[in-house]
Amino acid sequence: MLEVKLHDIGEGMTEGEIVHYFVKEGDTVTTDQPLVEVQTDKMVAELPSPGNGEIHEILIPIGETVQVGTTLIYIEGVGPSKSTQAKKPNDQTTIKPTQGLQQQRVQTTINRVLATPYTRKIARDHHIDIEKVSASDPSGRVTEEDVYQYINKSNNQPPTIESSEQPIKLELQQPKEQETIPFRGIRKTIANKMTQSIYTIPHVTHFDEINLTRLFHLREDLKKSGENISVSAFLLKALVMALKDFPIFNAQLDEENEQIILKKNYHIGLATDTDEGLVVPVLHNANQKSLRQIHQEIKSINNKAQNGGLQPRELQGSTFTMSNVGPLGSTGATPIINYPETALIAFHKTRKMPVFNEHEEIVVGHMMNVSMSFDHRVADGATAVAFTNRLASLIENPNNLMLELV
Amino acid sequence: MVVGEITQERDLMIIGGGPGGYNAAIRAAQLGLNVTLVEQGELGGVCLNEGCIPSKVWTYAAKKQAELPHMKELGIDIESPSINLERLLNYKSQVTSQLQQGVQSLLKKNQIEVIHGTATFTGDYRIGVEKGHQFDHYIFNNAIIATGSRIIQPDYFPANSTRAFVSEEIFQLNEIPNHIIIIGFDYLALELVSTYQSFGSKVTLIIEDHEQLSIDQSIQKEIIRLFKKKKVHILKQSTIRLVEETKESITAYVKKGKEEQAITGSHLLVSGQRKPNVDSLGLDRLGVKQTVEGRILVNYKMESTVPSIYAVGDVTEGESLAVKAIKQGKVAAESIANENPEVDLTFLPLVAHTNPPIASVGLTEQEVKMHNIAYQVGQFNLGGNGYSLISGKKDGLIKVISDANTDIILGVHMVGEGAVELSSHFVQLLEMAAKIEDVTFPHFAHPSVNEGLLEAIEALMGQSIHTTPKQQSQVTT
Repeated sequence: MLEVKLHDIGEGMTEGEIVHYFVKEGDTVTTDQPLVEVQTDKMVAELPSPGNGEIHEILIPIGETVQVGTTLIYIEGVGPSKSTQAKKPNDQTTIKPTQGLQQQRVQTTINRVLATPYTRKIARDHHIDIEKVSASDPSGRVTEEDVYQYINKSNNQPPTIESSEQPIKLELQQPKEQETIPFRGIRKTIANKMTQSIYTIPHVTHFDEINLTRLFHLREDLKKSGENISVSAFLLKALVMALKDFPIFNAQLDEENEQIILKKNYHIGLATDTDEGLVVPVLHNANQKSLRQIHQEIKSINNKAQNGGLQPRELQGSTFTMSNVGPLGSTGATPIINYPETALIAFHKTRKMPVFNEHEEIVVGHMMNVSMSFDHRVADGATAVAFTNRLASLIENPNNLMLELV
Repeated sequence: MVVGEITQERDLMIIGGGPGGYNAAIRAAQLGLNVTLVEQGELGGVCLNEGCIPSKVWTYAAKKQAELPHMKELGIDIESPSINLERLLNYKSQVTSQLQQGVQSLLKKNQIEVIHGTATFTGDYRIGVEKGHQFDHYIFNNAIIATGSRIIQPDYFPANSTRAFVSEEIFQLNEIPNHIIIIGFDYLALELVSTYQSFGSKVTLIIEDHEQLSIDQSIQKEIIRLFKKKKVHILKQSTIRLVEETKESITAYVKKGKEEQAITGSHLLVSGQRKPNVDSLGLDRLGVKQTVEGRILVNYKMESTVPSIYAVGDVTEGESLAVKAIKQGKVAAESIANENPEVDLTFLPLVAHTNPPIASVGLTEQEVKMHNIAYQVGQFNLGGNGYSLISGKKDGLIKVISDANTDIILGVHMVGEGAVELSSHFVQLLEMAAKIEDVTFPHFAHPSVNEGLLEAIEALMGQSIHTTPKQQSQVTT
């Protein structure tokens, strides 16, 4: 019998949600045939069959979130198998249900999560299933602290209604006035990340406006010489330069070890709207790339995001996130930081506005608002303003970008 | 009949006064509930009156008797020892009645009302209790079913037998069998093999095909080896086809493979299966879900499918063990009092008061193999333990299984004197998810059997002091 387990598809992935099965029990499958679609942190992945055989049993229902290492499917194998993974006792499953008596019957399981009786009690008292808490201990033991962390995270989610009473059936008499959309997949991932961020980070957002007139002229000039570089690419380049001067915003707060980690890599997350919802593909090592490269990469990432071709690697590791909502409209926002980063900046719509030039004349200026949210635990308002000032000066005087050439 | 019914109101009604029921009652009273306990037989249930306690009187007597030869070595001379079963039966009655009075007095002091009668549910919150000609009605907020189980006679049992017994029935026998045939492989069967062997009976143990003791193979092998050493005749992988009884003897026809043999003894005991006592409760009317065998489905809080009704002990699924019933009883009471307890049977200790005794907790070597867990085995033979040598109880071993990747202890299994007392230590290690260092760091009293556990753990690293290098640490992955 072959076991199909949820394995680590991308760096650091710990759990995934079962979105869809391509097969059903009794189906014959061949090696590498896709079996199941799993939603992980902002990415949907397919798990292929490890061998030839017949689907014997599907263990995890659709919609359930399981830990890496959980067995999802049993295949009655024929022929050699591709991978057999040693099963460790900490390969926990989340089969232990919290509702439904049938599945809750007194039974013992070889896969019971490792935790002391006191830790179990904390979990029970907070109405959480300890099997769902991931262990920080490399041996797979769930500690008190793990449970409290889980509680803090899930406090932000709508409480599950726990009741042994029968739900009152009123739907029958009422006209159908609402429809429901399944709250899972990318939507749920976004929800979890956002709540985690907003409840962990004390957000401060400040606004500023930046004059893009000179940048537009520079773009026109470049266009004439056959180079088409998008505004986004310039903004990103300027952003990286400003971050170099203000490393505190390219950082992560490590509360546990009481330190702030300043990142030496500049991996810029690009908040992107797709049909499925918000995704944040990452442009890695932006500091080492030319404007032309950045322009190309933004294009390619955007393209992949729209068509669902992003690799797990391309969704991970951002150190700062920029959200260029300008093309969609809007003049201001209070964006939520992409946890655990320290700050996020949103670029809004560019509009023609009357502005004063250096000769006190009213001229047409291409003005863009920016909204910058930052973690007030890590940085203070003055620093944030200094940062956006620096960013504005780089964008308003694009010639200065040259000074930063390595 | 009086016009109209008088219905009395109660917080909590508990049906059954065995270990599950009376533990539930006392815990509920401690938590401030007003408790009524209904018992149709005697307080203490099968455990106290017929099962666990009487069987321990037997095993304890047998153990003491088995120590007599060693007494001589210690310089204590005892003239021609013999066993007087009548006095032993008296002693048993004395012990059980003393314990029963203890339970009764505890219930009284906790202001628990005890009603002698037979209870039947008449609704989700209603119960009727029949006492002779009287039938009283009660309304309750919650009820706990703790009615236990009873033995079932196997099909092959001769009718109106005086020589064949099922499980605890044997403790009513007032003679020492000349040759007892014991069928079964659970704790009771093993204890009775030990006991009657000590009492001087000839013992034949028949282990049927389907019988499986969920303890580690090494322990099973060792206990079988020790039985054989004491001249117990053992037949494995057999099937009982027929049992015939005459005035003088009883004969079991046993099939093993294609061969059949007849084994004749003076008495026969089957440590048999049990069925839950649910028939008179009227559960089907309430919608309390049950298994095909009638066992009540409950969750980890002991709630049944009817919100006001809980069930504990043998009437629920799982092993028929008092240790389980006691825990479940307390948990049911705590759940009803809005505490937040849980029953988790993963590390339920399995013990047998055999000579030497057995204790087993956690994963066996067969289980870790089956689940492809990378593991290590550490084993220590009690022959190397100083105190075991002093007490003349050198037989037995302790076997520890750990996870090869994390050092976490997965299972501890022991056959040998002290196993039952040490079992709490084993359970604690497993519940705390202890690693090897968590056992080797603390101090162990010397000399004592405790040190055997330390050495078995040390053997995982090839560092048991009183084991030769060749014998220790079999790394398996």
